[in-house]
Amino acid sequence: MHIPDGFIPITQGIIYWIIALVFIALALRWARKELSEEKVPIVAVLAAAIFALQAFNLPVGMGTSGHLVGGALAAIVLGSPFAAVFILSIVLIIQGVIFGDGGLTTMGVNIINMGVIGGFVGFYGYTGIKAVIKNPYVSAGIAAWFACLIPALAASVELWVAGTFPLVPGLIAMGTYHAAIGIIEGVVTAAAVYLIIHARPDLMDIKTGAAV
Amino acid sequence: MMDIKNFIIAGIVIALIIGVAAVFMASPDPDGLESTALVVQGEKTLTGVTPEEAELVEDVHGGFAYDSPFPDYGMGESLGKTGEIIAVLVGIAICFLIVLGLAKVAARPQQQENK
Repeated sequence: MHIPDGFIPITQGIIYWIIALVFIALALRWARKELSEEKVPIVAVLAAAIFALQAFNLPVGMGTSGHLVGGALAAIVLGSPFAAVFILSIVLIIQGVIFGDGGLTTMGVNIINMGVIGGFVGFYGYTGIKAVIKNPYVSAGIAAWFACLIPALAASVELWVAGTFPLVPGLIAMGTYHAAIGIIEGVVTAAAVYLIIHARPDLMDIKTGAAV
Repeated sequence: MMDIKNFIIAGIVIALIIGVAAVFMASPDPDGLESTALVVQGEKTLTGVTPEEAELVEDVHGGFAYDSPFPDYGMGESLGKTGEIIAVLVGIAICFLIVLGLAKVAARPQQQENK
């Protein structure tokens, strides 16, 4: 879902960058208030794992492949959508600058889609679904599916505004592919949440999920 | 309960295994965004396979181009898979260290908890 430089005009890219910077500032404020020092290594290892998982494209049929994005995973494990903004922003900057995956002028829009939208949909999807069905793994999986699909639909609207994709065919294709890729997102997120809860139940603020 | 140090080591080991496995096992098919671009550019059908000769036009609006040090998570044709393994290991290490450093600086100062 990494939008390359040539897909969005630079002026629009700058606007998305400004919006992204606002959320990055809010993520830094979250870290200052909510991120305790003992959780710092967890944030770092999550970032490393998300980078590795993003390199692992799995086939989803239709001549297409996809990988975990990780916004939902970061937000659910660390108990805040801003955790996703924090981690995904840094991972996306590293991917863009060092590996040429995702553009530099489009990094702002990629941070908005995968970090901000992915993180918020993942976190509030998880807390909302978990309040109803109680099972944290199924909730995480369903929330992560939406956290893959909705950023993809946002991207297709942004690319329509950019004049790169036509609106309806873009929405249909992005929606179809990411509904399939979202299954990867859901399964991997649920599995990761399961492993973390079983290894260190204290690390995940499970109460956050039940209370909201 | 797993010791926090072991938890971090286990996480890093899992990341490294996934990263190296990705070099050999990741699908070469275009991702969802690239596939969509190929569909709207008339290079493939929505549900069909991606033709080998399908060519993605990335430079739709032009203007800005950037050459990264490890394009496509590799180090060029000559180094092949070795270059890709180095690239992915470098990426995992950089992600871990940069996020560790930035999170340490950004995190809530310890003394504030005592107030």
